[in-house]
Amino acid sequence: MQSLKIAATGMSAQQLRVDTISNNLANMSTTGYNARRAEFADLHYQQMARAGTINAADGTVLPTGVQLGLGVRPAAISVDLAQGALSQTNGDLDVAIEGRGFLEATLPNGQPAYTRDGGLQRTGDGLIVTSDGFPVVPDIVVPDDARSISINAEGEVYAYFADQVEPQLLGQFSLVGFSNAKGLEALGSNLFAETAASGPPVVGLPGEDGLGTLRQGYLEDSSVDAVRELTELIEAQRGYELNAKVITAADQMLGATTQIR
Amino acid sequence: MSTSYVTLARQVGLMAEMQTVANNVANVSTTGFRREGVLYSEYVQAGPPGRESVSIAAARARTVDLSQASVERTNAPLDLAIQGEGFFLVETARGERLTRAGHFTPNENGELVTPEGHLVLDAGGAPVFIPPEAQAISVAADGTLSADGRPLAQLGLVVPVDPQSMKREPGQLFATEAGTEPVIEGTAILQGYLEGANVDPVLEIARMIEVQRAYELGQAFIDRESDRRSKLIDTLTR
Repeated sequence: MQSLKIAATGMSAQQLRVDTISNNLANMSTTGYNARRAEFADLHYQQMARAGTINAADGTVLPTGVQLGLGVRPAAISVDLAQGALSQTNGDLDVAIEGRGFLEATLPNGQPAYTRDGGLQRTGDGLIVTSDGFPVVPDIVVPDDARSISINAEGEVYAYFADQVEPQLLGQFSLVGFSNAKGLEALGSNLFAETAASGPPVVGLPGEDGLGTLRQGYLEDSSVDAVRELTELIEAQRGYELNAKVITAADQMLGATTQIR
Repeated sequence: MSTSYVTLARQVGLMAEMQTVANNVANVSTTGFRREGVLYSEYVQAGPPGRESVSIAAARARTVDLSQASVERTNAPLDLAIQGEGFFLVETARGERLTRAGHFTPNENGELVTPEGHLVLDAGGAPVFIPPEAQAISVAADGTLSADGRPLAQLGLVVPVDPQSMKREPGQLFATEAGTEPVIEGTAILQGYLEGANVDPVLEIARMIEVQRAYELGQAFIDRESDRRSKLIDTLTR
């Protein structure tokens, strides 16, 4: 009876893989999206005959024993943190992070969230917020009468005014790094939250500690590679069919068993 | 009576073999999975003097196929595939274990771990620490891990002294009681690649059909034997 259940674990693993791939493909054009990849691990092993058992007949010791595997389970869905390509948008509040850092935003409940989506916006009061309207840390307010703003690689935001020659420094973005950025919890809307596995956030300025620099007028594309996703999709589909085939065969064997006279 | 028992022993073994096929196929996408097989051994029962003995096939041993699987490009800097023989050494709560699944990541303390959280050990048996500020991590073919051009550690690659003594554990781990020794040469670590499962779908499906047919044959044999015996009883009691 085990074969049926083992093949079923295989089918649900391949199903999970297809789910992951379809989410990646759906987010092919999402700014700052990182592709996910399902990782699998084998399940426990059943000991039919333990290695080292003494063979009753003549006293020899079994060198290997019989261990039967019980299938597969998802081990992790890991985030591929490779840098996506940058595309030019010319938006003055579009910033791409070139490096491993994250921008910090404050959620309405006061909790911090981290994002690589640099498509920033301005509220009616001039406060710089993420595309979902969450204020970016630290608060930077752009005055109404600013003619244009420029953001340099170190994240310093300058405003130009019609009646002034020298630009005015409004503030400087900070970037946040994690020991294990793959351990961050995805909140949706391109936001991530700290977990015990990610390590505490390390706040720094752009250009420091390998956090990366900012590039104004660009957005980071999704890092999804369509060719790879499609080949994985085919693999997952075939894997699913193979497991279904095993279920059919195991079922026929069990059918034969029930017909024993 | 022994005819039915001999066939039954074979049927039980075939069921176990079917289970290994199902397990191999279920793990067709598991990184670093090694396919398994069942070996039958003959259990001979001596008959009375002058008569032939009875031989029963029993599934008494299993094999682990340690051959190289294909590698797949993932581009992640800490995805490592082993080309050639050898295993990574990882530290679990139950002791040191061997694995070919090279999907690693730093944990919250910056130590290199497997997806299950087991520490990856270097050639000296110590955990590998990756500084959080490291930007570019490169792993050379000999396992030397460097961050921004500065060598940090050398990943340990080992082979078991007695490959037959390896015991499987969940999470593509192998335990070995006989101990391990470092890989001398001929093995390379590929960075940005993962080694898949060495399960060949064609072979597994062929084996599955073979097992299924053998099982049906055994079943038919038991049926035939049952017919023969009931006919015998009919004839004798008429």
